[in-house]
Amino acid sequence: MKISRRTLIGSTLAATTAAAITPARAAGNVMRIAIGSSLNNLDPMMTTIGDEYIYDNLAFNGLTRMREDLVVEPDLAESWSFSDDIKTWTFKLRKGVKFHDGSEMVADDVVAFFKRTLDPAVTAPARSQYDMVEDVSAADPYTVVFKLNIPYGGFADILTDRQVKITPRAAAATMATKPIGTGPFKFVSYTAGDRLVLTKHTEYFEPGLPKLDGVELRIIPEMSVKIAALQAGDIDVVWDLPLDQVKTLSTRGDLRVDSVPTASWDAAVMNNLIPPFNDPKVRQAFHLAVDKKDVVELTLFGQGVETISPIPPSHSFYAKDAAMPKVNPAAAKKLLAEAGHPDGIKIAIIVPVGRPVRERLGVTLQQLAKPGGFDITVQRMPYAAFSAEVTGKAAFYVDGYFARPTVDTSTFPFLHTKASWNERLWHYSDATVDKALDEARKSGDQAVQKKNYIEMQEALVKNPASFFAYAVNFACAYRKSVGGVKTHPMRWFDLRTATVG
Amino acid sequence: MPIAAFVLKRLAGLVGVLLGMSLLIFGIVHLLPGNVAYAILGEFATPAAVAQLELKLGLKDPLPLQYWHWLDGMLHGDFGLSIVMNKPAAALIVEALGRSALLAGFAFLIVAAGGISLGLYAATHRGQTSDRVLTLAQFGLLAIPEFFWAIVCVLVFASWLNLLPATGYAPISEGIGSWAAHLVLPVLVLSFGLVAHVSRLTRSSMIEVLDSRYVLAARARGFAERRVLWRHALPNALLPAITVLAIDAGLLIGGIVVIETVFAYPGLGRLLVFAIERHDLPLLQVGMMVVTAIYALANFVAEVLYAVLNPRIRVGGAAA
Repeated sequence: MKISRRTLIGSTLAATTAAAITPARAAGNVMRIAIGSSLNNLDPMMTTIGDEYIYDNLAFNGLTRMREDLVVEPDLAESWSFSDDIKTWTFKLRKGVKFHDGSEMVADDVVAFFKRTLDPAVTAPARSQYDMVEDVSAADPYTVVFKLNIPYGGFADILTDRQVKITPRAAAATMATKPIGTGPFKFVSYTAGDRLVLTKHTEYFEPGLPKLDGVELRIIPEMSVKIAALQAGDIDVVWDLPLDQVKTLSTRGDLRVDSVPTASWDAAVMNNLIPPFNDPKVRQAFHLAVDKKDVVELTLFGQGVETISPIPPSHSFYAKDAAMPKVNPAAAKKLLAEAGHPDGIKIAIIVPVGRPVRERLGVTLQQLAKPGGFDITVQRMPYAAFSAEVTGKAAFYVDGYFARPTVDTSTFPFLHTKASWNERLWHYSDATVDKALDEARKSGDQAVQKKNYIEMQEALVKNPASFFAYAVNFACAYRKSVGGVKTHPMRWFDLRTATVG
Repeated sequence: MPIAAFVLKRLAGLVGVLLGMSLLIFGIVHLLPGNVAYAILGEFATPAAVAQLELKLGLKDPLPLQYWHWLDGMLHGDFGLSIVMNKPAAALIVEALGRSALLAGFAFLIVAAGGISLGLYAATHRGQTSDRVLTLAQFGLLAIPEFFWAIVCVLVFASWLNLLPATGYAPISEGIGSWAAHLVLPVLVLSFGLVAHVSRLTRSSMIEVLDSRYVLAARARGFAERRVLWRHALPNALLPAITVLAIDAGLLIGGIVVIETVFAYPGLGRLLVFAIERHDLPLLQVGMMVVTAIYALANFVAEVLYAVLNPRIRVGGAAA
């Protein structure tokens, strides 16, 4: 047989290429999770996006932590107690907890952390959430005492939050480049645009945990590629699956798709200071014009549920008996006429480009509100420009907020007349709502809290602040080989007991 | 004009272009809507917190002063800080640029070798079926955008055949096989459009040369066809291709944002997108300067190469 030079070169090339490109599967017991965008900052105190919060909860611990069923349990604090006036909170720390550098975590670290968070010069994003803290001190190496300036029943609950993760007091200056925590996994490396690599913390304080040898957060912006990588087995988990994919991927035998209710919400924000929504009748008319059930179906593909306020129907404080107005376009038009708009209202709604669900919400409202006399045009604006250009300035726009750890932190800032987010979003003011929010926050008694929050929601139905569209589900897709992990409504992961294959 | 004078003149032009571009980049970047303080603080951006952070980051200085600080810093080798990541911008860019250069380098080899040889093949088989098929394929590759091919390739090679990894980058320390496997798809897709472009160009300039009188003369003298093609026609036909290739080199490094995003490849393009999304102006400025410099350098190399290969260009200005 004659072998030409060409055949020889060709077959040699083919053979070497085939040998070289055999895919290398990640070795060992490492879970690979696909996330959407690069982390900005590795100092948990300075983190602000969902992708970063996953890392916060893998490499660090707070004083308390929140389970997937939203029950708060001890983490670095073993136990806690509060004074009769609910203004002094004492936390007893676990003994012998080791940081990733081998040093022991003690009360001074906790105190230094909170002092830093509260220092205006540090510009920690979460500072405004802890403005009730007057002083924090160490009574002994394993006891931390917080003095509050108001009675606050949910203090242990808000310490589950994303940014309040304890770091070594000596390492504050180097956290952005060499992060150190107490968490089940410790930092190895981070390449923006590629991946964050974590490895098992062998001295983790819970014996036998974590079960994995490591975790990799892979940054893959393009969703179709993420799903292809999951199907190919290049990754094990897709975090934050788009809701339109839930039903499609559920039918695949090699994957498990989880969609859980959360307290994250989107709204059509109506500025209560600017016409036409400064008139409560116009806000009521909008609620008469649009059926929230249709909104959930059209915007979320059914992966969510309609709500009155940031308290989701999955929460026991939800006012399930509140008398919701029946949708009636004719009544909406009549109410608009009473408010001085006999020909209906022409208005633009601004939607954030790059947030597909919220863009869809804008278009859905445009279609659904038409019969009720609202002639809406949809205006697109880059999300990067939103906070500076739209929030607090536009009359009508779509935005949303992620779940916060307690009902108080989810409602008070948004709906109390003098609260920060209310002043930024819609400038709502209702005496009944204010009173209910004040009373609920002052009480440590669940029954009193529930009564007040239900009153708040009933008042909100009568006098809507804006159009709270829905509480949205959160979905993740897992390969079947992944075990020991539940989808967390707060959009982070607890991977202490997780396994792969 | 001697070649040294020509090079010097072009070099002076290069510095001028870079200086002008630095002003333009600074201006455009500061016209972008948005504010880094909001990007850093995210949903916690209360007005008080924003004001505090702006002060800390020095965003309150007048713009000409900020420009001067930036330019002065660059001239002294200080490329500033990524204010979102709180790390030196230069280190981030160098790392990302290295990985982009890897993609671009391999793609460039494929484009140069593949584009020129396909163009030659088509020119010498003009009008035959193989030429027509090639033409169709080339226009297909040129007309359909690369992100489409990227997703098709991922679906076919990763999802369906399960032969190559869908995304990402593996450092060479993880093994040469894994490293290469991660490069195959992005390099391939990156070369598609440019191969088509270069081969179209080579084809038409080769055809033009083959129709010229001196090729006719060479054939009339009875030279073997092989010698006519390689010695007489090709060197002249390649001139336009060389210019385009040099410019493509710039395009390959600076313009691969789409490919890097789809394949989740951590290169310069991804870094720039990150900087734009987070409004990280210092990082964005330096990144854009680097891309500009690469383009300008590629152009410079193309001009010099052209002048070396074709003496008429060197004297062109004065003689014509």
